[in-house]
Amino acid sequence: MTTNLNEQKVIIILPNIIGHERVAMASSASFAKMYGFSPARIEDLKTIVAEAAINAMQHGNKGRENAEVVVTLCFKNNAIHVDVADQGDGIAEVLPKPDIERIMNNQDPPVGFGVFLIQELADEVEFNLDSESGHSLNIVVKKNTG
Amino acid sequence: MQKENEITLEKKGDVTIMDIKGDITAFSDPFLNQAYQEATHLGNRKIILKSNKEAYINSGGIALLIQLLARIKSNDQQVVIAGISDHFKKIFDMVGITKFAPIYDSEEAALQNLAADTK
Repeated sequence: MTTNLNEQKVIIILPNIIGHERVAMASSASFAKMYGFSPARIEDLKTIVAEAAINAMQHGNKGRENAEVVVTLCFKNNAIHVDVADQGDGIAEVLPKPDIERIMNNQDPPVGFGVFLIQELADEVEFNLDSESGHSLNIVVKKNTG
Repeated sequence: MQKENEITLEKKGDVTIMDIKGDITAFSDPFLNQAYQEATHLGNRKIILKSNKEAYINSGGIALLIQLLARIKSNDQQVVIAGISDHFKKIFDMVGITKFAPIYDSEEAALQNLAADTK
């Protein structure tokens, strides 16, 4: 059997417990290092994976302890494709960019930073896709930015 | 399972340093609040929030830090941040934290800049 090293997948199944996103962060960092990502880009990827997993646990699975979050990493076309799937219904709307001045003045709640960071750090983000098990977030993180 | 923070307070002249050990996440809330109350009781107007380059800071921690900055601002105190990694400097800049709290590489650099600032 011929194995295409450019499309190897790593699948991480996380319990729906905040803190376990660190497991996916460490795995994604090792995966990116294998494919020659720079230390700065690896840090970006770790934040993206962490925030996507936390979002899936809190808002997708709504904190249900018996739910899971499945993080799939795949390297192709010089980028890591991250798929984070939960067992929820997806998100109704993507929150607008948090306005720190309004938050500092107690005019807005301090929310929306996770999705904002994913959008800022990733090259492509696609929300609210149906999969067999629930909602998934698809993210592309290119090896080289710009 | 979550690692708790240990936050030590140190007075250096007219500056109080809040040295935050551990990751900054939503679980840091009680530790940050208690340390800030104690720091305020020490009486200094200038505060350094010191972390370290290995600390993991997530969106929950960012939200807490922004709420803390709002309290510091409303109490007419001055705050700077020291010691975080280049990655989180970038993140804090993206989010807008640096508009309210400048970031310095080290405690020493933060102290020097606060000493030069006569506000």
